[in-house]
Amino acid sequence: MEGALKLWAIIVLVGALNYASRLSFIAVFSRRSIPPLLARALRFVPAAMLTALIVPLVVMPSGAIGPLSPRVPAALVAAIVAFRTRSTLATLVAGMLALWILQALGR
Amino acid sequence: MLTVTRLRHLAASPDLRAGFVEMLPACLGLIPFGMVCGVGAQAAGTDAIAAFGLATIIFSGAAQILALQLYVAGAPVAIVVLTCFVLGLRLLMYSAAMAPHLASLPPRWQRGLAFLLTDQAFAAAIRRLNATHDPRQGAHYFLGCGAALWTTWQSTNMAGYFAGNLIPASWSLDFAVPLCFVALVAPLLRSAPNVLAAFVAAVAVLAFGGLPMKLNLIVAGLLGIVAGTLAELFQERWKAR
Repeated sequence: MEGALKLWAIIVLVGALNYASRLSFIAVFSRRSIPPLLARALRFVPAAMLTALIVPLVVMPSGAIGPLSPRVPAALVAAIVAFRTRSTLATLVAGMLALWILQALGR
Repeated sequence: MLTVTRLRHLAASPDLRAGFVEMLPACLGLIPFGMVCGVGAQAAGTDAIAAFGLATIIFSGAAQILALQLYVAGAPVAIVVLTCFVLGLRLLMYSAAMAPHLASLPPRWQRGLAFLLTDQAFAAAIRRLNATHDPRQGAHYFLGCGAALWTTWQSTNMAGYFAGNLIPASWSLDFAVPLCFVALVAPLLRSAPNVLAAFVAAVAVLAFGGLPMKLNLIVAGLLGIVAGTLAELFQERWKAR
């Protein structure tokens, strides 16, 4: 499958599965409660999946591990700000400023 | 079916208005994330209708970005869908927490509200649902929250999509994508099992970088989930002694 058709297949299927997850216990399994071990495991989905998504984008933005990019320290600065403020905007501002300063220094 | 009278009646609901208004501060915080998702769709070379489809049909920033990344990397549809499904598993948790509050509502309310169930709507509405004894009031509040979020999400995604090519590449704006996720993950790192889950996922995603079709993402995610779960079980055993 190529191009636009493939993208639409992804949009529809990911959307359908997301909706199925949202609807699951509200409508389909409404008479059942969530198994305790599953409930426990699900709480680690954000930390694990989002970290797996972040790390390659920060460490190897071009697709291969190269010389240490200024993105690594910039992301650490952003992580400290996010940990303290819990604010997306503050995290974005801190991370982008750190990256721009480090890039300017490296030139 | 929804009639005009019913819609008018609904719009007059003080709970719906309260949900909408009380969600606005969180919506402000979502503006950059929504724009980043729109920019991401533009950078991936999608057309405007597909960008709109991503925002309306998937309606989850992290899943939209993940789907685009895997699509650009040329991963097969099945892998994209499976990886996004694992990311979306947290919605099961929200659904289970919401279910008892919505059990007495008509099915069309359940189906409609489920569509609006996102991280932010859940966080806001579950507080109200726990506090009120009238599920209808809670449902109206939830609908208000969801409507505010949905509108913000669509408009910021589109703004990002159309503004995306106006921003010079030298600004490295693609870095805003991981930063949005850092903003979500870093505050979670207050418990040891969450720290371990993130650490294992970080090491694994690099260690398995050689796997084809970006399978390293799903492998790392699953290993992180298992590590966090085991760590928490172990921690509880230890404390029980």
